[in-house]
Amino acid sequence: MKRGFAYVVTLVLLALSTAALAARVGEPAPNFTAIDSNGKAHTLAAYHGRFVVLEWHNQGCPYTQKHYNSGNMERLQKEWTQKGVVWLTVISSAPGTQGYVTAEEENDYIRRMNAAPTAALLDPTGDLGHLYGAKTTPHMFIVNPDGVLIYDGAIDDKPTSDQADIATARNYVSRALGEAMFGKPVSMPTSRPYGCSVKYAH
Amino acid sequence: MVAALRPINLMIRNSQRAWKPIVLALLYMAGRAIAEERAVPIPHGTVELVSEQESIQPGHAILLGLHFRLENGWHIYWINPGDSGEPLRLDWHLPAGLRAGAIEWPVPSRLPIPPLLDYGYEGEVLLPVPIENTTGLAAGGEAALAADMKAIVCREVCIPAKAHLSLSLPVRAERPRGSAETAAIFRAARKALPKPAPANWRPSAKDRGDSFELIVSTGRSASEAWFAPLEPLQIENAAPQKSAPATTGVRLILKKSDQLVKPISWLRGVLVLPQSQGAYLIDAPVAPFPAKKPNQE
Repeated sequence: MKRGFAYVVTLVLLALSTAALAARVGEPAPNFTAIDSNGKAHTLAAYHGRFVVLEWHNQGCPYTQKHYNSGNMERLQKEWTQKGVVWLTVISSAPGTQGYVTAEEENDYIRRMNAAPTAALLDPTGDLGHLYGAKTTPHMFIVNPDGVLIYDGAIDDKPTSDQADIATARNYVSRALGEAMFGKPVSMPTSRPYGCSVKYAH
Repeated sequence: MVAALRPINLMIRNSQRAWKPIVLALLYMAGRAIAEERAVPIPHGTVELVSEQESIQPGHAILLGLHFRLENGWHIYWINPGDSGEPLRLDWHLPAGLRAGAIEWPVPSRLPIPPLLDYGYEGEVLLPVPIENTTGLAAGGEAALAADMKAIVCREVCIPAKAHLSLSLPVRAERPRGSAETAAIFRAARKALPKPAPANWRPSAKDRGDSFELIVSTGRSASEAWFAPLEPLQIENAAPQKSAPATTGVRLILKKSDQLVKPISWLRGVLVLPQSQGAYLIDAPVAPFPAKKPNQE
C-alpha cells in the first residue's frame, strides 16, 4: 500500500514538472535560449539572481507604437536596466507578417527609437512566444531573481492605442518591479494583456 | 436634393401607375445616398449614428445606434474583446437633460486567430445605445446629438479609428414615429442581443481546478453550445469548450485562463445555443474547488 502511494506521488510529481513547462505566475518561468539581433544567445537560467522583463514587440502594431512613439517604453527600459533589471524585447512575428524584422532592421529600429533593452530576441518561429503564451504586443512578463514568474499581463491599466492615455495610466510593470524589489508580494500579478495579436506563423 | 425630387412627386400625383416602382426606387436610392453621406469613413468601413425614432418627445427615451459597415474580413470588438483588441469607446455630447446609457452589445462572433481567439463583429453591425431621461428638452427645437468614437479595426493587422458622429432630431410634443429608414436595422439589432436566461434554467458553475464546469438547465440537450465570458482572464478563450453529456440542458467544460490566480465567485457571459435556439445572458455562481482531503496515511 505504501509503495503504491509512493508510485502515485511520483506520477503526480512528474505531471507537475511537465505542467511547469507553461508560464504561470508563481511557478518557475520556463527556461529558454534565444538569439538576439546581434547574434548573441541568451539563456534565461544565466540571468538567475536578477529580475528579467520580457516585452513582446511588433513595431507595426499601433499599441506598440503608442508606447514607443511616446517614449514611454524606452523610458521604462532605461529606468529599469539602470537598476540592474535584464530587459528582453521579444519579436515573435513570423516572416511575412507585421512586425517581422531582420536583425539589421531591428538594430536600426533600436537606434532610431533610442530604445534601451538589454537585448532584442528574434523569435520568428514563435517558439518563445508559445512557451510563454504571449498573446499581444505588448505583453509583459517579469521573472524574479529566483527564476519565478511574478507578473504576466498588460503594460498598464489603459487598454487603448491612444498615446494621450499614458499620462494618466498606472504602469503595472513598474509597480510589480517596485514591489518585488522591496521584497513585497506583487499586488496585481496578472492582468489582461492588451494590444495586437502576436503574429504567429500559421 | 429636395428640389430635384419635386418633378418626380408631380409625376406621382399625375398618377401614371407604371411610374410608381421606378419613382420608389429612385426615392430609395436618394435616401440611401443621404444615409451614405452621413456615414463617417473609418479605416476599412463606415460608421453612422442612427436613431430608431424620427423625433424626440420630452420625457421619453429614444434608442440610437452605431451602424457599422466594414469591408470583408475586418472586425471591431465585443465588450470583452478576448485575447487582443479593445472595445470601442464613446464620448457623448448631448443637450442638457439627455443621458446616454451603455452600449447594448449584440452576441459576438468568435474570431479565431490561432493560437488566440477574439470576440467581435465582422461586416455589418448595429450597436444600440439608449438615450435616457429626456426631461430637459422643450418641444419645438432641434436636438443636436453627437459622440466622439475611438475604436480599433482589425483583420490580421489593426488600425485605430476615430470618428465624430452627429445626428439632429426634432423635439416634438407628440409620440415619435419610428423611422422607416432604420426600422429594419434596429429590428435586426434587437434579434442579435442576448436574451436574459429564464429563471428556471438555474445556471451554476463548479470550479474543477483546471477548468470550470458550467451547467444550465435549458430543458434541451445541446452539444454544440458555446460560452463567451463578459470578464477577461477567467477562461482560456481559444481552448475547445467540451460538452459533457447532459439530458436536461447544457454542460460545458471551460478551461481556466492561465492568468486566473484567484478563485472567482461568478461566471458571467453569453451562452450561445446551437440551431438558432438563441443566445442568453448567464450569471452562474461558482462553487469553489473542493478543499484537499485530509492525508489518509
